[in-house]
Order: sequence, then structure tokens, then C-alpha cells
Amino acid sequence: MSGGGGGEDDQHLPGVSSASGSAAGTAGGRATPEMKRSAVRSLIQRYFHQLQSGCGNAQCSNANCASSGKVAPMTPNEVAARALQLFSQDAQLCEASTSATSSPQDVDMLSPNDSSSSSSGSSTSTITSASTTTTTSRQSQSTPAAVLAAVSSTNLVQSVPQLDLGGAEPSSGDSEPCTPTLPPVQSLDANSLMALYEQCRAADSYDRICHAIGDVFSSVDRLSKSFIRSAEPAASSSLQELLANPPEALNKEQLRTLEGEHDKDEDSTQQLEEQSESAEVTPNATAAADVESEAEADAEDDDVPMAHTTEGTSDEDPPQSSDTLVDLPGLRRVQRLLFSCQTRAITDKLTSSVIQLADWVHYLHPDWEKVIHCLVICFDLATNTNNSVVDMDYLDRVLPKLCHAAAAMPVPAQARLARIWAAHCSDQLHSLVAACQQQITLQVLLDEESMRENGSIISITKVLKIVFYANILASELERPSCRVPLEDRTEAAAASGSGVVEDDLFAYNSVLQPHMPKFAEDQLEKALQVSAIDCRKPLIPLEEFYNEALSENIQMHHDYLSYKTLAMESEIGSGHTNYFSFMLYAFILTPSTKVDALYYDSRMRMYSERYTSLYSILNNFGQEGQDGTPRPDLKLTVRRDQLINDALIGLEMVAMSNPKDLKKQLVVEFVGEQGIDEGGVSKEFFQLIVEEIFNPAFGMFIQQEETNNMWFNATPFENGAQFTLIGIIIGLAIYNNVILAVNFPMVVYRKLMGYCGTFADLSDWSPALYKSLKSIMDYQGQDMEEVFDQTFKISYSDVFGDMVEHELVPNGKDVLVGQHNKELFVNLYSDFLLNTNIQQQFNAFRKGFEMVTDESPLKLLFRPEEIEMLVCGSREFDFVELENSTVYEGGYTEESQYIQDFWSIVHAMPNEAKHKLLEFTTGSARVPVGGLKCLRLLITRHGPDSDRLPTSHTCFNVLLLPEYSSREKLEERLMKAINYSKGFGML
Amino acid sequence: MTAPRRLRKELVDLQENTLKAFRDIKADDDNLLRWTGLIVPDNPPYNKGAFRIEINFPAEYPFKPPKINFKTRIYHPNIDEKGQVCLPIISTENWKPATRTDQVVQALVDLINDPEPEHPLRAELAEEFLKDRKKFVKNAEDYTKKHSEKRPAD
Repeated sequence: MSGGGGGEDDQHLPGVSSASGSAAGTAGGRATPEMKRSAVRSLIQRYFHQLQSGCGNAQCSNANCASSGKVAPMTPNEVAARALQLFSQDAQLCEASTSATSSPQDVDMLSPNDSSSSSSGSSTSTITSASTTTTTSRQSQSTPAAVLAAVSSTNLVQSVPQLDLGGAEPSSGDSEPCTPTLPPVQSLDANSLMALYEQCRAADSYDRICHAIGDVFSSVDRLSKSFIRSAEPAASSSLQELLANPPEALNKEQLRTLEGEHDKDEDSTQQLEEQSESAEVTPNATAAADVESEAEADAEDDDVPMAHTTEGTSDEDPPQSSDTLVDLPGLRRVQRLLFSCQTRAITDKLTSSVIQLADWVHYLHPDWEKVIHCLVICFDLATNTNNSVVDMDYLDRVLPKLCHAAAAMPVPAQARLARIWAAHCSDQLHSLVAACQQQITLQVLLDEESMRENGSIISITKVLKIVFYANILASELERPSCRVPLEDRTEAAAASGSGVVEDDLFAYNSVLQPHMPKFAEDQLEKALQVSAIDCRKPLIPLEEFYNEALSENIQMHHDYLSYKTLAMESEIGSGHTNYFSFMLYAFILTPSTKVDALYYDSRMRMYSERYTSLYSILNNFGQEGQDGTPRPDLKLTVRRDQLINDALIGLEMVAMSNPKDLKKQLVVEFVGEQGIDEGGVSKEFFQLIVEEIFNPAFGMFIQQEETNNMWFNATPFENGAQFTLIGIIIGLAIYNNVILAVNFPMVVYRKLMGYCGTFADLSDWSPALYKSLKSIMDYQGQDMEEVFDQTFKISYSDVFGDMVEHELVPNGKDVLVGQHNKELFVNLYSDFLLNTNIQQQFNAFRKGFEMVTDESPLKLLFRPEEIEMLVCGSREFDFVELENSTVYEGGYTEESQYIQDFWSIVHAMPNEAKHKLLEFTTGSARVPVGGLKCLRLLITRHGPDSDRLPTSHTCFNVLLLPEYSSREKLEERLMKAINYSKGFGML
Repeated sequence: MTAPRRLRKELVDLQENTLKAFRDIKADDDNLLRWTGLIVPDNPPYNKGAFRIEINFPAEYPFKPPKINFKTRIYHPNIDEKGQVCLPIISTENWKPATRTDQVVQALVDLINDPEPEHPLRAELAEEFLKDRKKFVKNAEDYTKKHSEKRPAD
């Protein structure tokens, strides 16, 4: 029945086999990757020559052969690109000697892509439609642009053989010995493949299975019809011929399934359904169908996936769906079988085929729905490993290629892949992350110099982002999302007159969402309508997405420049760009690297502000009235005993007159002290002011008994302006790279990033309350009203300890909490405590914060947990890390006995003393982001033995240590210094 | 003076259906969140007297647990000299908003009647309780006679 198909194959195969045979033939079934690579190279060269010079046969009809006269004139570069294309399509190669016999079928090898490029546009399109009527696929790459003769001859026969026209396995030699005699396999499924494997094993010859794998795994079209999950196991008709004794999987019914009822399997995806529709059209309708498929092909060329949407046939958008037809359990059975096989021929074949497929996808952007099917299969094969050598080989070679292919997909297709992974492969995500990270690390180490331009790293990073979102989707998401904009609440609160809107001192419009430059918006996040913030307990901890090697070698200032270039390009509206910034893939960067990015951003802004003001000073030179001239920095002069007042008044002046000045470099001066602010003085300033602001006696914040967290005083004595100023101070601390000793619950940072507090945030806000509300949520009995006797009126105690009541809904005191409204109750209660009750205070606070940070990539780079680390430093103290990163000067070395004594004293100190030592040397008792190693402490010899105390330069983290005569004296002096220090120049 | 609705109801319920072991329940006139009552244990050595306790409800009741304090001094391994008691049912880890004050009081009465020396607040009493029960009972009786309030007539 498949005579036509098989025959055609026979005829063009010799060309292929001889091509690859030169390189890989000698190796038999065990070609090394190098040999395969050279085989591939020589093949591409042959395509190139054929396009440029022709095969020499005057009667050649191969449209891709110069001798046929059908090749349009092209530049050498175009020729090269075309050659690569032809290679990936397994297009026909003319063989000088056999050209005569192959000529009738030459045109068969034309892919429809040709129509878009050079040659015979109109004729190919009609032919496409002809074949579409009989085959079940209008897929571009292997649906041949058959010559009319071929169509008429095969039209009468089965539809399946026609699919064969797509060409056979060209490259490696594994399947060669048998290809001439076997028709290409159209699809595989778990059962048939396993049966085939058993047969091959019995015969001790794996050629046939290699052949089948090569056929299927190298073609998107075929692979996309393979491993289909279905009630009835699908079978391959070609396989039937392969198997002398067909296993139970292959009966008439299944054959029919394959031939005529593809739509059964394909119903579930609109894309495929539509294909079968067009496959079912009668010949009369061919023309119409033709136009349709043409339109689709065009649409696909433009990278618009899921072209069917334009035709209005879809009720469901495939990118929204997480359905996949891939028979994953079957696939995994097969995977275990194949990868445990003694001969590596099968996996080698699999590897080379998948690489071919991936290259093909990367260059030609075919029907994404099919590609997704293939990618799901191939990635699953790659990750479902048991770490054997064979698996690793497959993984190492295939993964970069697959990532190239996946990264080339348009966003909706990537979103679809993320959904499928989340829904069906969540157990594989972990190994997928690990595999990607391993590849990235490897590539970084191999290519430290130009890692930022390394295409593999970039592709894998892009895929890692898909995995990142798949991970979020696979985790438990919070409902309702904390991303629900606050607007409604704001309006509601304003309407209820819960307080006069603050006197708006500042010429600044409060924004509800922190600034996020348009170009930096994550399209995938948008498509999936999910964000890392929605997920409290990710399936895979998000820390596992950090890549240390990449983060360490990235040279953030270069990446920052790419980021800025992208920003500029988006401003001037230039669309496509070759720049890539890892800042838009912040999940892969460790917090300390992201801190670098933020640092460059702040510095850039400070310098540009400084430049602007210097410029205007110069402009005004010689004119009187210095008051009008702007300063190049943000200078605060404060008295120690009037710290808060001076600071708040100073900042208020700036904020009112010219908020932009807040982005200048902060310089603090304490009245009557001569410290020059190189960072150290402002560090101390922040330290002191935070201590006072958060002192409960100051009345702006209260300390929560249960957790020791600071929380906004809902009934403050101060007005909103004070909170704004505190927000400015927190923003300035981040902007000026200073760590603060503040204990906010996490929800504060989430709210600063523009999200609302939700029930889940109560867990660290008040664990007791959280547990109680959770037990209400979990209660299943119908007697809730009696058991809890709780109304929608709640009460809390104010800062004086008095009880205040609040109705969550109008007349809440009369509404009992029951099964039907318990969720509403919990959400309203949480919302009240975390949002509405402190809304005025918090909005003022955030306004101040935004005044400093609105243009910074803070939100782009950091998740709320990371912001907390940014503000507070991490909470662990690893002094060994500090010791290892400390450098010495003035005669000390890490080997000197004196220094070793110093560290043994320090390590033996109680934690409190360590805090003090840290504060003494660095001006902050908190650990910076990235740990103590980032402090880079410098210990300098400060003269010989004397009675002087150790001193320090906090701005540079320098400890000046006289070489005391004994260890005991060292310890005594050190303890004295750290216990009696505060302020500059006191000792 | 306001109080959470449920708390008012619980107070009325407890006052109407008096527990045998918990009497004389009153809420502060100016603070309904503070109750006092009299624990009347059954078991020796505490059955020779009655013990005044104070229950402090948080404003967030019943979402946060109440706290119990003994106003009458008591010789008991689970109650410290300041009158603080460690009752699992009202610990933040175990608290359930469905738990009612009568259950809390019942748990407290049970604890008074049958001390739990495994989780003592006063280790020396727990040790005495375990090692020399006679001495413990005698000390506790003496202490009760000396410090406790009179038991109600009925």
C-alpha cells in the first residue's frame, strides 16, 4: 500500500546516504559527535555548492539546484542561509551520477518555505492544497510541495504514504543500512516503540528502531503526531510494515484511527481540529481551503502563532490551555527502556535527531502548537533521567539546542509551554531547573569573557524563565491575588469618609503601582497573568533559580549598560534590538549581584543630577544670590540632640521645593563635628534616626507584642507628612546603599512594591490571629454560627490598649459568619488590618519611598523578600566568612600570630559583642546583602604597642588596630572600644 | 462599655449555668475584657479552699486566646509564684477560636486537681510532687489553708 512513498524514498536516499556516508559511514552505528558534526558540515557544504554551482546535470529539476535553473539569484550569504535551511529540511541533494533517476521526485523535496523565499511561489501553493486534501496535515515543513504528477499518482493511494514525501533522515549513519529498504515511520507511541524495541532486541539488531526514531524525532510534523495520549493506543501504520508480527497495538481499528480519524485525537486543541477540518474539505472546496492554509502559513511566517484565532473558530485560546496530548507516562516508560539499553546506537540516534529537530525549529519557526508538542516530549526525555552517563550525554548535547528552539517561540507559545509543564510535568521541573543551571554554569565557565553575548546562555536563561513561571503556576497560588489594585478600596475608603485626605504637602502624585518601565514589563508574566508574588510557597524554592556562576561573572556594569540601551531604544521607539540584559531575567541573579545593578543605577542617577546642578552653577557664575544655585548633592545638616526634627524639616524642604534633589548623593553633617561624609557619617545618621523614629514613644509606629515587628500606628499623633518623610528615609537608605535596623513584617515590603496585604500576610504579622482565622476557614461543620458566634464586627486594641470596634460590612454586627461567608470574613478582616486601617499612614509612607525610588529598577530586580534583605541586611552572622574576606595592611597578614589571636578572640565573643564589633567597624549592626563577606573588612596595623584604643573608619570598613603587646591586652582594648563607642571622634 | 459579642454571651451563659468548680464570675465594670472568678477544686490538697483567678481577654477575642492569672497564691507545680499558669488550650500554638471559656476553665480546673509535673513552671514543686508525694500534699494543704479564699457555702 505504501509503494509510492517507499519508492520515492528509495530514489532520493542514495544522495543522502552517500553524503553522510563519507563521514559517518565508517563508524557504523557508533559515530562520535565529532564525526557527526563533520558529516553535517559536509552536507551543508554540498547544499551550498548545489545552490551556487549546480549538480551539472542539464536535466536537473531540483528547484534547489542551480542546474535546474530554478534557483533565484542570491548573495553568498543568502545562499549559505538557504543551504542551512535545506539541510534542516532534509531537502533533496542532487547526485551527479544519480541525478537522472532522482529528477522526477526532485521537486517533491521542495518545502513550502520556498514559496516565501525565492522560487516558484504560485505553483507550490496550489500543490500544498492538493496534498492537504488527502493528508491530515497542512503542516509546512514536511507537507511536500509535490509536483502535480506526484499528487495524482498518490491521491488514489493511502494518505499516509504521502506524508513520507518530507524526506528521510539525512545525516548520521546509524540508520543508513536499512533506510533504503524501509519507508519512513510516521509516528510512534509508547507501545509500538516498546514492541519494536523488543523485536530489535530479539534480533540483536537495533537498526529498525534507530530508523524509526530518526524518522520521527527529527521531524516536527511526525513527532507532533507521536506519543498521543488517548483512550485507544494510537499506532503507526508504517510501523506495521516494520514489524513482521504486528503486536496487539496494531489492528484495523487503529489503522483507521491513523488514517482517517485524526480529528478524534486532535479535537482537544483548536489548532489541530482546524487542520482536520481543512483536511476534510472536498476537492471542490480545495481552492478555498488553499487560501485559508496559505493565509495561515503567511501568518506563521510573521511569528503570529495560533493563526486560527483570526478565523474566529476558537472558543478557547490554546495559550490559555494547559492541555497536552503527550502521553507522558508512556513516554517515560519508553525513556527508561531506551536509556537503559546496552547499545548506545538508539540514544545517539535520538540525540542527533532531536538536535536536528531543534535546529529546524529554531530557524524556521513552524506551527508552534506542534512544536510545543515536540518540545514537551523532548524536554521530558531530557529531564526524566536517572543521571546515568547516557542520560547526561543526551542532556548535555540536546538541552542547549532545545532551549534555542524554545526561546525562539513567540510569547504565547512560551506561555502555553509553561502551562503544560505546570500541569503535567511538575515533577520534572526540579530536574529541568537543575539541568538548565548546569548548562548555564558550564557555558559561563567555558566562556567567561563573552558570557553576556553567549547565545546558549541567553537561550537557556529564556527557557529558565519559562520554567520559572511553570514553577509558579504549579505551586499553590494565592486567591484573591494581592495584585488586585488598591483603587477600589481607596475609593471605598474615601467614600466612607474614614478620614480627611492628608494635606498634600508635596508636588507629587501618588502612584499606586511602583514605576516599571514599559520595555521591562515581562510579557510572559502578562500572558500567564501570574507573578512570583502570587505564590507563597513555590514548588521549587525561587533561590534555586539563582545562578551563582553567572552572577559572579556577569560584570554588572556591562549588563546595566545593555539595560540602559534597551531603555533608550524603547523610549525612542525602535522596535527590535539585539541587546539582552539579564536584569530583565532577574530571577537568575543572586541578590548581591542585583544590589550591584541597583548601585550602578543609583550612582548613574546621582552623577547625572550632580552634572545638571554643576552645569547650572556654572551658568549662574558671577551672579549674586547663592541661594538660588542648586547644590550638587543632597546635604542635610543636623544636630545630634535635634536629629529627627532637623532631618525631617530638612527633607521636607527638599521634598516640597524640589523632590528630584532627593536623588542626589546624600551628604550628612552633624553640627559641630568635623567628620567628612564619605558614607560613614550618613550610615550613622540613618542608624540613629531609625532608632528614634521606630521608638514606640515617638508614636508613629507600634511594636507588636507577639512578633516584635514594627507596625504603623493606626491612630497616630503625627500627620501624614511625617510618614512620607520616613518613607523618604527608607528610600534614601536603599538608594544610598545603607542597611537599616528596622523590623517590618514582610507585608510592608510587599505593599511597598505595590501589592496589598492579604490573609497570607497575617502569618508573620500575627501568627496567632492567622491560625485562628485559618481554623475558621478550615471549619467544615454547618453549625459555624453557633460554634463561633462571630459577626462581621471585629475589635482590636489601639495604641493605648483600649478596645476599638469596626464593622467589616455595613451593619456587620448583625451578620453572622457562616459557611457561606467565612471566606469573605477572613479576607475583609485581613484587608482591614493590613490595608484599610493604616491606609492613610501607609500611603504617605509609600509616597515618600517612591519619591526616592520611583525611577529605580527596584521592583524589576527584587522580590519583596529580597527588598527586606536590601533594607535590613540578612540576619545571619557568619564571622568565618568575614575572616575569610578580610584583607590586611601595615604589616599584618592573615598568617601573623597577632591576627590569628584577633580572630580567635572575635569568634569566641558572644553574639551581642559581635554585633557591636560590626557596628564599630562598619557603622551598622546588620549584615549586608550577600553576607559578611561583602563587607571586605580591612585591618590595618596602627603602630606598635600603646594604650590607644582600636579605632575605625566606618565608611570604608577599616579597623585600625595597634599591635598590643599581648593577647590579653588586645582583647581588653577591643572590648572597651566596641562597648564605649558612639559618634565620630569620641575616642 | 463594649465587648466582643460572643464574650458578652459567654459571660451571661456562665453566670446562668454556673459550673460547680467555677463560681462568682464577674466582669470588670469598666472593662468587659477582664473577668474574675473563683476556682473551687474537688481534689485534695486543694479542696480545702478556693482560688480567685483573673481572665484577660484580648480585644481580638476569640481570634487571640485569653490569659489566665491566679490572684490567690497556690502551691502547685504548674502555677508560678506570680500566678501565671501555662495552659496548653490557651497557648498561641493550640488556640482555636471555637474554644469557649467554659472549656478553658474546665481545663484549668482539671490541671489544678491533677498537676502535670512533666511540664512544670516550678521545677522544685514538680520534683517534690514526684519524689515525696506526702510532703508535697502536706505543704500544699498548709499553703492552701493559709492563703486560699473560703469555699462557697453550697
